[in-house]
Amino acid sequence: MKDWGPLRYFPLVWAALRRKPVRSVLTFLSVTVAFALFGLMIGLNATINLLAQQARADRVWTFLRYDNTGLPIAVAKRVATLPGVKTITVMSYLNGYVGDPKNRTFITMGDGDYGRVYPDQGVTPEQWDAVHKQRNAIVMSRKQAALWHRKTGDMFTVIAPEITRADGGKNWVFKVVGISEDISYAPAGMIFGNYDYYDKSRPLADQGKINEVDFLVKDAGQAAAIGQRIDRLFANSASPTFSDTETSAFSPSNFGGMDVQTVTREVAAAGLLMMLFLTATVITQSVRERRAEFATLKTIGFSDAAMIALVMVEAALPCLSGAVCGVAAAAWLAQHMQALMPPDFGIPAPTMAASVFAWALASACGVALAGAALPVLRLRRMDIASALSGRA
Amino acid sequence: MSMLRQIAIVSLLNFRNLRQRRWQSLVVVAGMACVIGVLLSMLSMAEGVHQANLNNGDPRNAIVVSRGTVFEGNSSIPRDKAHIVMAAPGIAKAADGSPIADPILSVGVPARLQKNGGRTWIALRSFGKNGALLHPTFHMVAGRMFRPGARELIVGDLARFQVAEMRVGDKVSMPDGEWPIVGAFATGDMMDGRLVGDTETLMASLRRKAYTTIQARMASPAVFVIFRGALTSNPALAVDVMRLPEWNAKSSADFIKFMHVIIYGVGVILAIGALFACFNTMYAAVESRGREIATLRALGYGGFAVAASVVLEAAALSVAGALIGASAAWSLYDGVLSGLGSEVFTLTVSPPMIGTALLWAVAVALLGGILPSIQAARWTVSDALRAR
Repeated sequence: MKDWGPLRYFPLVWAALRRKPVRSVLTFLSVTVAFALFGLMIGLNATINLLAQQARADRVWTFLRYDNTGLPIAVAKRVATLPGVKTITVMSYLNGYVGDPKNRTFITMGDGDYGRVYPDQGVTPEQWDAVHKQRNAIVMSRKQAALWHRKTGDMFTVIAPEITRADGGKNWVFKVVGISEDISYAPAGMIFGNYDYYDKSRPLADQGKINEVDFLVKDAGQAAAIGQRIDRLFANSASPTFSDTETSAFSPSNFGGMDVQTVTREVAAAGLLMMLFLTATVITQSVRERRAEFATLKTIGFSDAAMIALVMVEAALPCLSGAVCGVAAAAWLAQHMQALMPPDFGIPAPTMAASVFAWALASACGVALAGAALPVLRLRRMDIASALSGRA
Repeated sequence: MSMLRQIAIVSLLNFRNLRQRRWQSLVVVAGMACVIGVLLSMLSMAEGVHQANLNNGDPRNAIVVSRGTVFEGNSSIPRDKAHIVMAAPGIAKAADGSPIADPILSVGVPARLQKNGGRTWIALRSFGKNGALLHPTFHMVAGRMFRPGARELIVGDLARFQVAEMRVGDKVSMPDGEWPIVGAFATGDMMDGRLVGDTETLMASLRRKAYTTIQARMASPAVFVIFRGALTSNPALAVDVMRLPEWNAKSSADFIKFMHVIIYGVGVILAIGALFACFNTMYAAVESRGREIATLRALGYGGFAVAASVVLEAAALSVAGALIGASAAWSLYDGVLSGLGSEVFTLTVSPPMIGTALLWAVAVALLGGILPSIQAARWTVSDALRAR
């Protein structure tokens, strides 16, 4: 006979699980649900850490210090002359809505160098060329294109109640010239347009005003110092500035003013706790109901260790399979979360990194071990005679 | 024997032997405690922000913003237009006959978070000569009021919990130098997490030509319509006029929805987990009581009474768990000061929220108890007696 090693005992575990199929299925389902939540939470943490890692230390953002309305473009010209500044871009935001004030969106209007300062925002150099060749051209990321049902060649009208055109109108009509890939820190998607067109379309008094000057520095180590230098330079001007490196802006401990990491860990822990209780009671009950069976196994020569292993595996199977299915469900949910959010808000999609799977599997093993501990102790102390007679 | 009496007797019997099934039953209790504890803890934040936003400022006030404004910071009302607004009909008059209305400048000032030094912006609101009149709850708690014309600020009494260097005596970096904080005030609303300075001095320092918004006290609730009509029909103005509570609700609605989507999403997922656990426990409970149920049926108790008792037991366990979770959330978080960025608010676990939580618990119990109860009711006497 072929030797299957310890695997030959697997039918025993399988039989135990099939003894009460409803119970096993329900246990599996609740573990799956708990791990779906666990996956989302730990995945969100992974995303925040990933954003912090991806944030470029050599990219600096400069905007107005006390609000965000109209930084003179002259600031950008001055910043460009500073030593250590490599590539510089200016941008304005066109905030508005599509059709109904509820359907808000915004377009990032970048100048010719935007794509060089932000090569990592999903827009290809060819797409930027297209945007700057045709004045009212825009590139939409996939999510925005899906949201507004637009494809390349379509027109797209944004009504911007706060941003008037030179002709007095508030309707901004654009032509979609390309669809770009989404990026993780813009969960609602992005739209990119031509700053020059935007600027020239505004009333004379409003021209030359931007929202942000962003630039790359030659030496990342100097980024913070250059930012501070800019802020000192404009401290006493009509437009005091505030500069920040991208690394500092994406600090994981201060994500949008919230300590997301602590909250997510606590929620994940609550899910695990629930599961621990469930697994522990289910396995305890299952072992208690089968004392005679375990006594028989002991009688025919099964060691304590073998029986403990059997119980552990019986506890671990629903936990581990639930963990795998739960994290898979989380991965699916992560893709569809944004659809439920109000248009201006979003949390970055949780990343289903290998570390999330690893954490889930480790936690599942932990829960199974902890849950099986008590019944295992009882089994070791079990008196075979009384167990077989059903008196225990 | 009446149906109700039957249900009562069978349920009593169930509760008496709960002790034999205590670990099993604890699954439902602990599960529900986790669900409701987590749900209410997270909701306490959303509710705190919501209440703080709704109760921000005097409800008798009206607010004027530039037309189409979505975010307060984008509103802009030039000086000359502000004069027209201040002269509109319907504004309550102060003792000296001047209108109780003030143009307000609001900006954000870069600051550091108290807990980790992270970046944030603290809101700076300006007060004109009617500032205190427009905020009847405003009073100084330390130091003194700023002097009009002087480059001084006062700070809300709660700002220091969230933002570093926000005590009386600290200095705030402004475009024309460091402004000292000369006093601390309290209003009991979101102003308590903000800085306040003199409107015209701030306008000069920040080189502004336009205010952000205008607030005006209405002479009576009824005149609001006249006030709004006068402003919105004036072709020289392009403004929106709202009652302050209306504006507060509108401007915070999306953020509240955003938080609710996340919180209820997490809550629903946890509750589904608890639902399966409840299913499991109630099935096990029914199985372990097979003989008892059969005996009852043999004695003439109806299937419905047996089924109802199962659901009742599930509901009792689930509500008990929910109460544990709710009291944990309430004792840990209700009334606790918290912050989001630089905004300060009080976490709230209100009775209606606890009521909703109990409804969740009952719903989970009903869903989780109904299938096992049907099984219990459908068992024939002979089947059940054979069950181990």
